[in-house]
Amino acid sequence: MNKKDITWAVLRIEGTNSEEESARCMRDVGVNAEIVHLKQLTGDDVIQSERRKLSDYDGLWIAGGFSAGDYIRAGAILAARMKSKLTPELKEFIKAGKPMLGICNGFQIMVELGVLPSMERKTPMTELPTAVLNLNDSGHYECRPSLLRHVNRGNCKFTGRIRGGEVRTVISSHAEGKFLMASEADYKRLADQDQIVFTYTDPDGSAAPKYPWSPNGAPHAIAGVCNPEGTVMGMMPHPERVFWRHGHPDWTRTGLDAGLGWDVGDGRAIFDSIVDYQTKKL
Amino acid sequence: MHSASVRRNKGDKLTKKANQQRKVAVAKVAAKGPARTVPLAGKRPARKPFKQSIIKKVKAAAPAKAGKTASKPAGKATAGAPTWERHVKKQDVGFPLRTFDLDAMSDDELVACSKAMGIRLSLAEMHSARGYFQSKGRDPTDVEMEALGQAWSEHCCYKSSKPILKKYVYGIAEEQLICREDAGVLPFDGDWYYSPKLESHNHPSAIEPYGGAATGIGGVIRDVVCMGAQPVALLDPLFFGPLDTPLDKLPPGVKHPRFLLSGVIEGIRDYGNRVGIPTVAGGITFHPGYTGNCLVNVGCVGILHKDALTHSKAGGVGDVFVYLGNPTGRDGIHGVAFASEELSEASEEASRSAVQVGDAILKEPLIHVTLELIADKLVTGCKDFGGGGLSCVAGELAYDAGFGCEIQLDAVPLKVPTMAPWEIWVSESQERMMVTAKPAQVERILQIAKKWDVPAAVVGKVIKEKVNRVRYKGTKVLEFDLSFSTGGPVYDRPMKAPTINRQDWLTFEQPKDLSQTLLWMLAHPNVMSKEWVIRQYDHEVRANTVLKPLQGVIGSEGPGDAAVLKPVPTSKKGLALSSDVNPNYCLRDPFWGAASAVDETVRNLAAVGARLSSILDNLNFGNPEKPERMWELSESARGLGTMARALNIPFASGNISLYNQGPTGPIPPTPTVMGCGILSNFEHATTMDLKKAGDKLYLVGHTYRDLGGSLYLESMKKSKGERVPQTDPEILAVSADLVVTAIEKGLVRAAHDCSEGGIAVALAEMAFAGKLGAKADLAPLGAFGDERNLQPGPMRSDHKLFSESNSRWIVEVPAAKEQAFLALFDKPVVKGLCYPLGEVVREPTVTIVDGSKPLIQVGVEACRAAWRDAMPKLMGVSA
Amino acid sequence: MVKAHVTVHLKPGISDPEGNNTLKALQLLGFDGVVAAHTTRVWTIELATKSKDKAKEQVDAMCRRLLTNPVIHDYTIKVE
Repeated sequence: MNKKDITWAVLRIEGTNSEEESARCMRDVGVNAEIVHLKQLTGDDVIQSERRKLSDYDGLWIAGGFSAGDYIRAGAILAARMKSKLTPELKEFIKAGKPMLGICNGFQIMVELGVLPSMERKTPMTELPTAVLNLNDSGHYECRPSLLRHVNRGNCKFTGRIRGGEVRTVISSHAEGKFLMASEADYKRLADQDQIVFTYTDPDGSAAPKYPWSPNGAPHAIAGVCNPEGTVMGMMPHPERVFWRHGHPDWTRTGLDAGLGWDVGDGRAIFDSIVDYQTKKL
Repeated sequence: MHSASVRRNKGDKLTKKANQQRKVAVAKVAAKGPARTVPLAGKRPARKPFKQSIIKKVKAAAPAKAGKTASKPAGKATAGAPTWERHVKKQDVGFPLRTFDLDAMSDDELVACSKAMGIRLSLAEMHSARGYFQSKGRDPTDVEMEALGQAWSEHCCYKSSKPILKKYVYGIAEEQLICREDAGVLPFDGDWYYSPKLESHNHPSAIEPYGGAATGIGGVIRDVVCMGAQPVALLDPLFFGPLDTPLDKLPPGVKHPRFLLSGVIEGIRDYGNRVGIPTVAGGITFHPGYTGNCLVNVGCVGILHKDALTHSKAGGVGDVFVYLGNPTGRDGIHGVAFASEELSEASEEASRSAVQVGDAILKEPLIHVTLELIADKLVTGCKDFGGGGLSCVAGELAYDAGFGCEIQLDAVPLKVPTMAPWEIWVSESQERMMVTAKPAQVERILQIAKKWDVPAAVVGKVIKEKVNRVRYKGTKVLEFDLSFSTGGPVYDRPMKAPTINRQDWLTFEQPKDLSQTLLWMLAHPNVMSKEWVIRQYDHEVRANTVLKPLQGVIGSEGPGDAAVLKPVPTSKKGLALSSDVNPNYCLRDPFWGAASAVDETVRNLAAVGARLSSILDNLNFGNPEKPERMWELSESARGLGTMARALNIPFASGNISLYNQGPTGPIPPTPTVMGCGILSNFEHATTMDLKKAGDKLYLVGHTYRDLGGSLYLESMKKSKGERVPQTDPEILAVSADLVVTAIEKGLVRAAHDCSEGGIAVALAEMAFAGKLGAKADLAPLGAFGDERNLQPGPMRSDHKLFSESNSRWIVEVPAAKEQAFLALFDKPVVKGLCYPLGEVVREPTVTIVDGSKPLIQVGVEACRAAWRDAMPKLMGVSA
Repeated sequence: MVKAHVTVHLKPGISDPEGNNTLKALQLLGFDGVVAAHTTRVWTIELATKSKDKAKEQVDAMCRRLLTNPVIHDYTIKVE
């Protein structure tokens, strides 16, 4: 598939934000991106020219924010709305190997939807959530740079351009980011199936960083996970905010070229990687 | 816009047309009614009686009374309590509606009536109202009385401040503005404009900090949106009493500063984060004077393409009013009147209804809807519902376009169906927007609103006649000539100036351990790290924040001078934002305090590489009916105006909040200044952290004995004496320009302004943010015989170290670029302005000497720890 | 009409930062002897049906589909 034939949907409802910079990232790596309101996909309250189908798109990005105010639980309401109206289309989308990305609130929504971590192969969605993103240990919202270690062993389609073990700076910005699963066995299975993508670390490279290097206190310092096929990924920190080097908090110290190219930030590789996958595989 | 603040822009339109209209309108009213300017020096001049010919309603007693009541103490009322209620008639119309026989009321009754209704009109204003309705030959309805209370509040009509603003602040460099309406609009780059706004939400926040602060953000965002701009940044200067105030020292009815601060921060966090606008700058200032009345100022900046510019006025006759957003409820009723009086012990309970309740999740789609309507060119005018609600927004949209309006109150979406017409008319419910549109566009507008689940309704139309007419269920409940209701009273209030001794030199010993003094300063509430707060705000959303509020090595950041945004993807220009004011200076010397606030704004922006483009002022003061407060307001406005005029910088927008005094007395005069600066290229943006050992350190700017209101005097427990920093705008302008030029030429690796705590604090902050040490020698400073340096002989070392003189920066210059840097300063005005200070060293210690005298030697980590740990300690939270 | 009260609480062992922070705040305010504070959420849901059993069944589905996350939450339903 050619880059110019690829179109991503960036989903929006009331309370989502970050859609504009998310769409900008995809456009900057050479593919098309459209910001789509959920109602355009479900067909409620829109005119014919605004109507869209999920299958019109080659990738789905659920961006950060506070969908529906994050009432009840972060992401729960949007997830419930999607579940009731879009389940068949979503399952088909994921089964077709089309990538789906959830950042921050998007990750919370995907967990509530049951598309992550969804540990059975070829099961795009579990009926009930099998994990949760719980309130940070600090009890409040935190906006700060995090150091993420890439721990995936090759399964995740979003990190093909990032070396194993590499540490990158990405911005955390959430109140409910503590990734919790029901049992230690679940974490083990997640690791065994190569579904853990990023973990938090600190400047000394610790595997069990303390606050604030772990902004939320997640067990095993998990920051991002993918489905068993590696085509669906969710992460709490925001790679789109460090797509450009000038989004890094310390770029005035490193300069705009810090080894990745002029004004290229640590987050960009994620988007380049998934487009690599799309141009090769789909 | 909000209940706690007064909008400046009204009656101050840039367009000549609007100005003329306003002038004509005032003249008309003046001919009809009593004198519009009421000197309040204690005696009221006898009012002229209304001309018999315009009094249509003939009552035997009326004309005579109209002329005499002013001097008659009790009017018709017999001895005993005023019984104004007997002059109120319930109308039999099937819904709650009352009329007021003002003619029949005595002065005492008029006062009692105003008070009991909560509309807070003075006796003279009640007389004006009576005169108007006499001229119309009918009694006013409750809708009309309530509407007047709102329109003539300090908040809405600037009755106390207008003469001062006219004298000092208006008319400066206005040709640089595109327009100034609900928010200012200025050129940014090519086809792009930026639109800033600064407002206060003080009174509601003092009563209900969470809701008050949240709705403050909501209002300022709407002001920017209704210009057609996408909001891109928020900033929030906050002012509280000391966090360690003992509970038993709080007067009754006053909430603890810790509670207020937590609530305000949670309000800003939950609202700002939810609407997806980054909070990038601001500040928290502590002073005992804010204990009884905290200040919450909020600023917002938007970006718009020139084609999207939308004015806050209707397009033409026949346009319809479309109401968008939250249904109207009983929240916020009497908010503006509440903002126009002092807080008292009773305010806490009584004023709850004046605080609006915000809903960020309705607001966020309201922004989308409004911007989508503007982008699709479906609206002719747009205005947000500020303080004053429907009553103000409909009238102003029509009036500012030279038309009138007819509103159907029963078409307004309601939260509670049983609301009385007057409640609907004056409610200040949040998250509402009014647009005007051609009737043909209504269907599409309603459809877009539905897509976003935003309630919308057509509620009226623009008419040719310059009246405001309101109907409810077929009955006319209000009819004003627009010139009457929008042309509020203006007062030339008396002032009283205290004596300021600017040569009150104190004698005191230099402390033995200046390193300890430095550590004390770094932990001082007005210097300490606000990281605990900053990190609760999303300052990164929209991915445009190029310089964040905290700058330096990750995990060891220091306080940035200004935030920088890159708001237009296709433009390399940067937008820098900062807000400043030091109440300790203003309290001692409001003129130089205000001038210093502008100075600090200029240098904060220059430190990151930005040239000042516009300033916004939020004038927070006490009760203007007290001559001392009025003088503070006037002196501060004079200080701001003097600086702006000398720098040739326009006020993009302004706001006044008066009556800020609670049970602990008046607040210190607080003219908050917000500055918007532009970077020619964001890639030049410079942070304050030291970058490289071996680089040279220079001080730009002269150091004088400016210790009045300084941290150093406070550390000596001296609350009076010395002189607050003064400034010379010419030197400031040239040196700021050279600092920016040096940054643009790549000659500067770090820059930081010197403010509280002077050179010592600035240098320590630069060092710990860069995890590097610094060596400095102050010998070259202060030795010159300048007329401002009134003390003969060389300056004392401690004065050099801690003086808070304005217009100064510390800059880090790579050794190889030293000559090029110095060459910039080889010109008139700034010759000799650049002092070699020392250099950046690897060893993490800050060492400062004065020739052979050692002054300070302290570890960088100790500095950072003092700075970082102070706030969590005061708040009782873990860092 | 049937009224259902749903109480959602955290499973034992799940950390409760809101509760912990409240505990700290209470202790700071000088309430001695406070040893723990837990957060619980209560929803009151009114249903048009007359059958309590049916209501309970419906509300149970609501809990599973929206109001709780089984990884961290337990819940109880009381109908009246």
